Amino acid sequence: MKFFTSVYTTRHTMANFFPRWTNYVPLKLALCAAIAGAGVIAAFWYYATPDTQRVGYMPAQPIPYNHELHVQQLGLDCRYCHSFVEQSGHANIPTANTCWNCHQHVKKDSPKLAPLRRAIDETYADYDGKPIEWVRVHRSPDYAYFNHSAHVNRGVSCESCHGDVHEMEEVFHAKSLTMGFCLDCHREPEKNIRPLEEVYNLDYDPELYLSEHTDVAKLVDEFIAGNDKLAKKKLSSQEKLGHYLKDHWKIAPKESCSTCHR
Amino acid sequence: MSKRVLHHPEVPEMEADQSVWRSVREHEDTIKFRHQAIREFSDSEDVMDEDEREFSRRNFVKLMGASTALAGLGLASCRRPEAYILPYTEGPEWVVPGRPLYYATNMPSAAGAIPLVVTTHESRPTRLAPNKKHPDNTGTDAQVQASILNLYSTSRSQQFLQDGSQVTKAEFDAFFAKFAKAPGKLGVVFGVDESPTRNRLAKEITKKFPGAKIYNYEALENVSAETAIAKAFGANKVKLTPKLEKADRIFSLDSDFIELDAQSSTIQYSKKRQGGGENYDQEVDKKVMSRHYQVESIFSLTGGMADHRLRVAPSQVSKVGVAVAKEVQALAPNANLAKALGDLTADFAVDPKFAKDESEEGKKAYKEEKEYVKSLKEWVKECAKDLVSKKGKSVVLVGPNQPEELHVLGLALNDALGAFGKTINAYASKSAATGSLIDLKKDVDAGTVDSLLLLTPSNPLFDAAADVDFASILEKVNVSIHSGERTDKTAYACDWHIPATHYLESWGDSLTANGFYSVVQPMILPLSENTFSEVDVLTALLSGEALATPTAQEPSAGYHQVKATFDKKFAQSAADWNELLKNGFSKRRGYASAQLKSVPSADKLANKYAKAPSKDALEVILAKDHSINDGRYIDNAWLQESPDPVVKLTWDNAAIVSPKTAKELGVYDTIVKLETWNAGRPEIGEAGQARAPIAKITVGDTSVEVPVLIGFGQADYTITLPVGYGQARDDEYQSADRFDEAKPVVGHVGKNTGFNVYPLRKESSQFLLAGAKVAETKGEYPVASTQEHHAMYGRALAREISTMESPAKGDYKKQLKKVDQQGMDSHIPENIPLYKANDKEGNKLIGDPIHQWGMTIDLNTCTGCNACLIACQAENNIPVVGKEQVAKGREMHWIRMDRYYASQNYEYDSHGHKAKDENGDKVKTPKWISENPAMLPQPVACTQCESAPCETVCPVNATVHTEEGLNAMAYNRCIGTRYCANNCPFKARRFNFFDYNKRNPLIKKNLYKGPFGEKKEGSPESLQRNPNVSVRMRGVMEKCTYCVQALELAKIKQKQITKKKAEAAGFSLSPAAKVETSDLMIARDSVQVACQSACPSDAVSFGNLLRDGEQTKDKDRVVKAKASKRNYELLKYVGTFSRTTYLARVKNPNPEMPDAKYIGLASINIH
Repeated sequence: MKFFTSVYTTRHTMANFFPRWTNYVPLKLALCAAIAGAGVIAAFWYYATPDTQRVGYMPAQPIPYNHELHVQQLGLDCRYCHSFVEQSGHANIPTANTCWNCHQHVKKDSPKLAPLRRAIDETYADYDGKPIEWVRVHRSPDYAYFNHSAHVNRGVSCESCHGDVHEMEEVFHAKSLTMGFCLDCHREPEKNIRPLEEVYNLDYDPELYLSEHTDVAKLVDEFIAGNDKLAKKKLSSQEKLGHYLKDHWKIAPKESCSTCHR
Repeated sequence: MSKRVLHHPEVPEMEADQSVWRSVREHEDTIKFRHQAIREFSDSEDVMDEDEREFSRRNFVKLMGASTALAGLGLASCRRPEAYILPYTEGPEWVVPGRPLYYATNMPSAAGAIPLVVTTHESRPTRLAPNKKHPDNTGTDAQVQASILNLYSTSRSQQFLQDGSQVTKAEFDAFFAKFAKAPGKLGVVFGVDESPTRNRLAKEITKKFPGAKIYNYEALENVSAETAIAKAFGANKVKLTPKLEKADRIFSLDSDFIELDAQSSTIQYSKKRQGGGENYDQEVDKKVMSRHYQVESIFSLTGGMADHRLRVAPSQVSKVGVAVAKEVQALAPNANLAKALGDLTADFAVDPKFAKDESEEGKKAYKEEKEYVKSLKEWVKECAKDLVSKKGKSVVLVGPNQPEELHVLGLALNDALGAFGKTINAYASKSAATGSLIDLKKDVDAGTVDSLLLLTPSNPLFDAAADVDFASILEKVNVSIHSGERTDKTAYACDWHIPATHYLESWGDSLTANGFYSVVQPMILPLSENTFSEVDVLTALLSGEALATPTAQEPSAGYHQVKATFDKKFAQSAADWNELLKNGFSKRRGYASAQLKSVPSADKLANKYAKAPSKDALEVILAKDHSINDGRYIDNAWLQESPDPVVKLTWDNAAIVSPKTAKELGVYDTIVKLETWNAGRPEIGEAGQARAPIAKITVGDTSVEVPVLIGFGQADYTITLPVGYGQARDDEYQSADRFDEAKPVVGHVGKNTGFNVYPLRKESSQFLLAGAKVAETKGEYPVASTQEHHAMYGRALAREISTMESPAKGDYKKQLKKVDQQGMDSHIPENIPLYKANDKEGNKLIGDPIHQWGMTIDLNTCTGCNACLIACQAENNIPVVGKEQVAKGREMHWIRMDRYYASQNYEYDSHGHKAKDENGDKVKTPKWISENPAMLPQPVACTQCESAPCETVCPVNATVHTEEGLNAMAYNRCIGTRYCANNCPFKARRFNFFDYNKRNPLIKKNLYKGPFGEKKEGSPESLQRNPNVSVRMRGVMEKCTYCVQALELAKIKQKQITKKKAEAAGFSLSPAAKVETSDLMIARDSVQVACQSACPSDAVSFGNLLRDGEQTKDKDRVVKAKASKRNYELLKYVGTFSRTTYLARVKNPNPEMPDAKYIGLASINIH
């Protein structure tokens, strides 16, 4: 007769259906999902926002106009072509006529200028008189009303929104131009304001400016010293001059909706 | 927090008892109406009908699910769309992209040119404003404001027609070359307006083609006044222009001289009504203010402004005229008046039929009638006395519909009152005598005319009277050529049709009411290359050359012709031409002065008023329509949708009868029943189903079937029938004038609107018909009336005071003082405001130190004409929604023109309590008083509350306050919860239920087809859009924001001062230039919002409340206006602190008149 070692052996013990490690599966899954989710959000955050979508946008233009050449090497002022920037909401793209003023004499036969001649040169074989179709780089939405003249006449430079256009061989979208971007400056205009005569000087350096214009520097220093709050802060030259101009010109940018949306 | 309850205080007895109403239902105060009134929204606004239910939420989710899935497959939308910038090849002179350019031009019109300044954006005309520098500035009315839309109308004529079928221009040219060589016996029909160039060319035509004849025709220009004037002045074509700024007393016999019958600038009338305070430097002075007597049949806007309005049938207007003339003759004898009067008599007597009735009611009626006749005699006597007392400062105006003899009498009266040269200018036109359509018919019948050139803006085949029989004229002539902007009935019936240019794209000239030479210059090349102006056609006829389309290099023939006219007759130096183009006018006049010779007798007048109208022989008035004029603007959607200023009907016409007449005809109950038949059943939607009974109106052997509506203040036993509608229908309502797809005489806009009543007109000079009979039919017609939409229920909404001492309200000074305490504003209970004025740091929340915007609307000069409503539509890209949507209360107009009727029903004692008779019963006012209500218009848009209830309930901050006190809208943020509209006590917010801008609401059921519906994008109307205002999409709330785009532009322009100062300081040192806060404030009264600039009575003041310098000359007009004692705030007790306030109306009654004590007391309390 066999003795049972234990009563229990007679029982049907169930095998562990779920192994021990499975205890952690939900946690791991949740963690993975969280990481994946965070990844998606991060990717969206990075790729789907104007910072990525817009910045760097560099479409091919019908005429590969070179800002670097015309501004840096030839010394053209922004306003030679964008002539109405101080009077109008739009900084106009130049008429074909503007280009033709020089190019009827210079590089007239360059194949790159064919679209220009098609638009304006009546002696040209393919002349059709139709305007050149420049591809739009900077585009604010229809419900946002940005006014160039309001900004350039109050000391905001082209550079603040368009970047170093004078160094671009081909124009690209340099800044994000989101609503946040606008608001940053509307809240702290002192970071971008400069003397009016420097608005179109894209190589402007506030430090250099103040060192060259000692009388202005004196005014600025007096102003900063006279203001307790500002005197305590450590300010850059730009901020010092900016604060001075903001106060001196009564610059108080609005943040209310109807400033830009109507 | 416990619930805060707003306590409504009591209203003084006298004001509370005044009966005030907008519609028949409200007047009747039916239970159903009350049920509806207490609902926050009209039933239909929130309720889906059949069509909407088809597109239910379930369907929406289904479709959206499918479309999202499909969209995911392609991912096409992920690519950045490429946009292009197309600069000009050669920049046109003056054009700065992004900045509007303003040009002066003039709109030709029968009463004289209307000087305009046109806003153009990159050459697209977008908005019209009056030319305030013009010596004859007349302001703009609704029709002028909306005329810009005609330019972009999709149904404009663009193709030449031969016998109603399209032909090419070459085919027409071939014909016209032959025609110009031998036009036969030519007759040319022009409009009625005066154009020097046209007159010159007409002369050349009669010279080149001997026997050629010139005619003038516009459907509603009555020749009876012209004939009377010609006889009295012994000269053809004499024009009378009243000088209302000089008139202390105005006596109008059925003349709607502020509105539809305007003969001169209404601005002058307003200035005079302001009593010397048009700049609000002083209060209204009754000594300066004019007094205005009006005798009329239709309740016109002019009648609404009048101090004393007498309500009589059109035939009886003459009788009152004669009675007044006789009194004047007795007081100030005048040879001309004696001659005109002859042995005319006008005795008012009680109809003997009243004496016969022995019943209790009959006796009462007899007594009332006796009282009325007594008062009438007194009215006439005192009126005449008052006119004579201001001899040399009085003027009598006679309505164009009235018979020739009354015009004769009017001239004699003016002569007796010394008006000529003082309050009326008489001008002699230099143009040759012309004929009327009747003359044309005679000439055609006689065979002296056998070819016809039609250049009139009217549509004679549709609108000429039966005695002209225009169809037979067209049959008899060998050739008929028509030129017009629309392919109307006449265009298809003529042998040839030339598409005409709009006045904003053609050269021309015109004279204003006082004869100033004014140029019509094009703003844009013709939109269609096939269109030509009147001057082009005449030039081609004279030269025999083909019509040439103008180009950028070569202007049209019109340019050379107008310049030739100007150089020859008006220019003094070569520079004048440029001055003319810049200013739009020349100081030289095209009229000579004229002298009254002697007036003929007017004794035939007795026949005209011998018989008063009765229930069985009603009088019919064929009236000019407020919206579509004589029918020419039937395809103008803005005008069609603008509510009739008095009746508030949109998209249709209707027969208007007084309540008493309606009751006697037995239609009153039907009207009340139909208007309310399913009120209180929200599942059906009441307002969307409002109907009017159709009645058959018979005059002689002709009858028309027209829906009937009640018009309060309409003369008894008269019917007003606005003309011009019903040009083409394709529904079940009318068999004549069917819409023909192949020959569409109207576009989407004009189709199926209203009923044609022109067939009733038998004689050209007849606009007043007698002996009409009315029979009820079984028919009903859906009507879209806005009179109850967006109704405010509050106390003392529109306020009025009187310069006369009232026993209950005290003298003028006391009344002035109490303007802002009318209604319940006398004791506003303390309600705790929910709003904080300051932020955490103690700074004012609405605290811009430079600009705080505000507005006042002066009810003393506001006539309720709708010009502001349409100017706002043009400026702010407001869409049209179509008749069905209007009926549901979904119209989008940012300005709503409220119109209130008010009448006093009880007599009051000196304490302001109801007077009681010896039996202790309240004494009722005489019936002729209570049946003749006052009318008060009140435009309401967003009032920009400082404590705006809409802002707190917006879940997404789409509506927020700006530092400058605007209640701003960020349309792109709005998610369409409509909470804000629920919370607005002024009901000033409009919700875009469908994409009215994108989808054409005028095509049946189109709105309900969603993406499959017909789109409007790319249609020419979009060229009219203002580029500085968002075009709102579906699901977005919108409202007035004080034309914030104009304010921002003005501020930005002002900011250039930094640069100017820097330049002054030596440009190398801009940081040295100091800018003060005051430098950034825009100049005094330098910005004009759209409604303000359009207003023909200068009722709107807008400006910066902070521009309140020590001296009055430093103050913005609005600041001065707000300081007026007449200034009051709408719904002040609600405590929202409105930025828009109103100035109470002042009436200037003659204390001797029998109705004087009932005038100027309306205070609109609606519960």
